[in-house]
Amino acid sequence: MKRFIFILLVTLITMSAFAEEKRISVPIGDSPSAGPVNAPVTIIEFLDFQ
Amino acid sequence: MAAGPTVKKIMDTYQGKVKLVIKNYPYIYRDYSHIAAEASLAAKDQGKYWEMHDLLLKRSPKLDRDSLIKYAQELGLDLKKFTSSLDEKKHTQEIERDKALAVALDLYNTPTFFVNGRKVVGERPFEYFKKIIDEELR
Repeated sequence: MKRFIFILLVTLITMSAFAEEKRISVPIGDSPSAGPVNAPVTIIEFLDFQ
Repeated sequence: MAAGPTVKKIMDTYQGKVKLVIKNYPYIYRDYSHIAAEASLAAKDQGKYWEMHDLLLKRSPKLDRDSLIKYAQELGLDLKKFTSSLDEKKHTQEIERDKALAVALDLYNTPTFFVNGRKVVGERPFEYFKKIIDEELR
């Protein structure tokens, strides 16, 4: 049991270390967009006008 | 809040290399967040999304119904269509879908950006984005 918890902890710590580099896939759908469809960089902005 | 001038500078600097996609994440406790998002999408229906987007950012927080209709007039939109779109909350489903997405992504701040999936929270200077974009273009 102790060993299991240890392995779990190591896994969690490793995962959090990699979390920074994680890329999140955000569906674009028919949201307003500007710039070329196949641009090498896509910026998705979540905004509030107020 | 939204990072107007910074985003504008990114789009100018990296013309043809960056695609910008807008998701609405109106904060529920602000009076005009939702109606302003409705206004932007009502303008999109008339082919003037970015014009309205820019105007809303410029005039924020003056985003009450009457002001929004005035902005639509400034942009030469069909006011009857625009106003009924606002009053019928025609785009609520689309806005709610964005909100659900934001919640699913555990976002708690606007603006939040994803640059090729790399998360950037809050307003950041141009140089901050430049570094990431240049890495992505390498």
